[in-house]
Amino acid sequence: MNWPDLSMGGYGFYVWGSYLFSLIAIVWEVWSLSHRKKALIQQQSSSNSVPASVLRESANETSS
Amino acid sequence: MNLYKYASPAMFYPVAGKMIPWFAIPAAVLFGVGLFVGFFIAPTDFQQGDAYRIIFIHVPAAWMGMLLYVLMAAYAGIGWAFNARLSSMMASALATTGAMFTLVSLVTGAFWGKPTWGTWWVWDARMTSTLILMFLYIGFISLQAAIEDPRRADRAGAVIALVGVINVPIIYFSVQWWNTLHQGATIRMIGKPTIAAPMLAALLIMLAACWLYSVAVVLMRLRCIILEREQNAARFAEVGV
Repeated sequence: MNWPDLSMGGYGFYVWGSYLFSLIAIVWEVWSLSHRKKALIQQQSSSNSVPASVLRESANETSS
Repeated sequence: MNLYKYASPAMFYPVAGKMIPWFAIPAAVLFGVGLFVGFFIAPTDFQQGDAYRIIFIHVPAAWMGMLLYVLMAAYAGIGWAFNARLSSMMASALATTGAMFTLVSLVTGAFWGKPTWGTWWVWDARMTSTLILMFLYIGFISLQAAIEDPRRADRAGAVIALVGVINVPIIYFSVQWWNTLHQGATIRMIGKPTIAAPMLAALLIMLAACWLYSVAVVLMRLRCIILEREQNAARFAEVGV
């Protein structure tokens, strides 16, 4: 195992810049998805009027 | 067991939710392992020094950008041909992740190009065709967002996805067909790879991590799309069906 030089032999800006950008992209994607889902669930729970029992029956009809 | 019932978005919604941790957790572990092998075990390149370590994110991101486009086109085509809603939704779910990976490959490629070629960008065949891939993703996402009726949006998206798929082999073979500044393939479908074993190991582990990550986030996005399009999907999920 070799401990990497943090300056990456003078290329630190390019190497760490690449990984930082990738990390930001991944974190942004996951964060925006969880935010979107939370908003959707809130919106649906406030507007949904179909009772669970009706849906359960409907699901049973679909699967049978 | 009737597997066809899972072709219904409402039935697939809870299954997708259960599948996400099975992909997300191994993805996080493999990202850690891949970075460890890439930074602590893989040796310094004798020509490019440590700048080459950008490949551990650049190459998997570039591959994912292309592979996800092919998958997106396939799902969009199936959705269009068979009027399969879940397939069209899957195509929409794949687009943003594919665009994200393509953007990462372009940006990390620029970060690699500056120290090795002396420039951030050149209108080289590989880079230009990858930029076109990015525009195709943007076109697909924008077109779907611009059309209110989801069925019409799916059909329009399928056209752009299927037409644009021709760009993927162009990207892949561009380094062979044209004289480009971009280096040739390091890992070939036939024949031995031209890099050291620890470098190859790090690259393949990072590729596996990117695959698992993609499946997890695509399933997360698919669930959002199902919630948006299928009014009662969330309630189906609540009652555990």
